[in-house]
Amino acid sequence: MSPVGSSARAAQAGGTGGARPGEAVGGRGPASRSPRVRSGRRAERLAPYVLVAPAVLIIVVLRLWPLGLGVNFSFTGDGERNGATVGLDNYAELIGDPLFRTALRNVGLLVLLLPVAVAIPGLLATFIYLRVPGHSFFRSVYFFPAVLSPVIVGAVFNLLLAFDGPLNAVLGGSGVGPVDWLGDPDVAIFAVVGVHIWATSGMALVVFLAGFATLNSALLDAARVDGASLARMIWHVIIPGLSRTIQFVVVTTMIGMLTSMFGLLYVMTSGGPEGSTYLPEYYIWVQQGQMSLPALASAASTVLFLIMLVVGLLQVGLLRRAGRED
Amino acid sequence: MSRLGPGRWLVAVPMVLLALATIYPLLFTANVAMKTRREYILDRFSLASTLQWDNLSTAWNSVGMGRYFLNSVIVVACAVALLLLIGSMAGFVLAQVRFRGSSALALVCLAALFIPFQVIMVPLARIMADGGLIDTYPGLILAYVAQFLPFTVFLMTSYYRAVPTELVDAARIDGNTLYGVYRRIMLPMGAPALLSVGILDALFCWNDVLISLLMMPSADHRTLMVGITSLRGQYSADIPTFAAGVLIAGLPVLVTYLFLQRQIADGVTAGATKG
Repeated sequence: MSPVGSSARAAQAGGTGGARPGEAVGGRGPASRSPRVRSGRRAERLAPYVLVAPAVLIIVVLRLWPLGLGVNFSFTGDGERNGATVGLDNYAELIGDPLFRTALRNVGLLVLLLPVAVAIPGLLATFIYLRVPGHSFFRSVYFFPAVLSPVIVGAVFNLLLAFDGPLNAVLGGSGVGPVDWLGDPDVAIFAVVGVHIWATSGMALVVFLAGFATLNSALLDAARVDGASLARMIWHVIIPGLSRTIQFVVVTTMIGMLTSMFGLLYVMTSGGPEGSTYLPEYYIWVQQGQMSLPALASAASTVLFLIMLVVGLLQVGLLRRAGRED
Repeated sequence: MSRLGPGRWLVAVPMVLLALATIYPLLFTANVAMKTRREYILDRFSLASTLQWDNLSTAWNSVGMGRYFLNSVIVVACAVALLLLIGSMAGFVLAQVRFRGSSALALVCLAALFIPFQVIMVPLARIMADGGLIDTYPGLILAYVAQFLPFTVFLMTSYYRAVPTELVDAARIDGNTLYGVYRRIMLPMGAPALLSVGILDALFCWNDVLISLLMMPSADHRTLMVGITSLRGQYSADIPTFAAGVLIAGLPVLVTYLFLQRQIADGVTAGATKG
């Protein structure tokens, strides 16, 4: 859209539009120009604050203030000791709770699985960028699950992974015994994380493709002329060229694993079997929503925030190192 | 033209298999939704012999999915409208106007981007309860606005930053107030970004389950995604009806995706490349 065209059209629309609340404050109708210049100036000075105020108010009251409030909560008691200061008792209780320890262990598992969750969309994006036949079709297909709700994804995979479900029927046909995907404590967390990767790698794929758009394709052409294999091209040209994109995907994927698996857990396992699929976010919800232990939940929230802070700081450190190398 | 060598068909094979793995679960569910219960129990894989459209109406009518659907539409529409209005006002000012404290305010908005909902949900629930907003439409709408506003402001700011400031200066010389500049120039000019961000915000709100569970506890006020989870308990023995419910809930997203895939991808990558 051309700026000139749109402003002309907007001016036309404005001419017939009548006074809106905003204009009433500004008071700059042609008739009232001279006597109201002073108050007009003052209103003009305030105008930027008026325009930004709703956003800042909402963010401060409903995002930043609760963060401080939550940390405060975490040092108070629940139930009978409601409101009383209890020091680090909640944190001690967290450490003693096997469910929370499982949740932290599962966070460790997510970190270990992170390279897989980044490499899959990265490799797919590479092939799409290199124009594998049907590349735009693949792009559309792989991206689609990323826009589906975890509830829908979880429901679909509940059907597929059921003990008497289709996946086990296929496995049975090829001689492998049925696996209790969502009922075996050793397997369930991998099943849920696998579904999460299935559902979200489309997001990372699209980000990777945007990164590829900035890659110098002359380097790739040169590498191909020199007869470099695909693996060598990926290692020597694509990975160094995309280091910023890769870092971004690593951090957003990690944050996604820590904060957007609730829907899947809620639908697929409810934290079970035997609490084996707990993650901090699910633990927080159970303590707050079902056990009515908000102070304990706040302590868990604070721990989750610290974990995310570490992830963020690692990212800053990585960026700085990459900046020095450039 | 492929940039791959003669091995490109070799690469295409795993790509096709993965594409099948992506599509098949969804087709499977759609197929199940069209089967009779008996058919499903006898053979999970066979194509539905006759299409049981009744399953859709059973799911829609019996557990109040129609009601949940309406709840979701109301809440998402209001939240997205507010997000776009508030987000574009703030984005315009932070990108185009220099005023005392502007960089501090920009930092406040940016910092909030890194606070996940799980970290603040306990105190937020208490604030909402104190305000009498739990289990009300305005409460859930406000919670969604608060959740996705930092992202919306961030993207609108980076969009408006690319607009030359001369445009604002010229409009003000013509006698427009700052409000006039916003309403007559910046709002219409922001249309492509508003569309991208709006679709993403709508998807986020539509797909959410955690915020909705926390803010709307009563059965009457359930949004569609929470409703689906209750459908599962009710129809654990009637899988086709359950699948039909899932199909209904996923259909609006599928239609949006088919028509607006490019805008969705643009929104996602704008967040990535400008970060």
